[in-house]
Amino acid sequence: MENDVRTLRADSGLSQAQLATAMGVSRQTINAIETGRYLPSLPLAMALARHFGRAVEEVFHDDGSR
Amino acid sequence: MMTDHASGPGLFRTRWFMPVFALALGVLTAGALELGGQRSSAIFSLILFAVIAAVFAFGGRSETVRQMRGDGRDERWARIDLAATAIAGTVIIVVVIAACFYEWANGRDGSPYTQLGAVGGVSYLIALAVLARRG
Repeated sequence: MENDVRTLRADSGLSQAQLATAMGVSRQTINAIETGRYLPSLPLAMALARHFGRAVEEVFHDDGSR
Repeated sequence: MMTDHASGPGLFRTRWFMPVFALALGVLTAGALELGGQRSSAIFSLILFAVIAAVFAFGGRSETVRQMRGDGRDERWARIDLAATAIAGTVIIVVVIAACFYEWANGRDGSPYTQLGAVGGVSYLIALAVLARRG
């Protein structure tokens, strides 16, 4: 599963820490999501997508590995 | 926010729970050792737990410390915590089973490892049943 969180965050001018605060998670969790080391829960994925004004499937992409 | 459900009751998320818990554990450990006549071990354990409590209380700059003590915990840390608990439990079970075999091979009845293994096995089955019912 790939995602565009890093790109969307950078385009919004947010730091990882700022996005983490907005999402109620740690900066490490945002970093882990961006680097693909952690697949977020559905509520967190939806909150991230909503934060950037996108649908979940526009932010998280199925790369066919599952 | 959306991670509240993943982190357990609020009491465990306050920054003072783990320091107080560590200190209480240190006092209980030291008390038990003192009752058993092991004063030097009692003092050592009390100092050790006090240091751990201080790290939890004043190590707030570290995200890892904040997550371990609860106030910086989120869903990823809850998942890591769960996996770490499962790994630790698996290691304990393997050691208990190996200890049972060792005791039996030396002509003993396997106590207390057989009882510990039974407690672990029954606890696992009960947890499976309860968690499956919860969905």
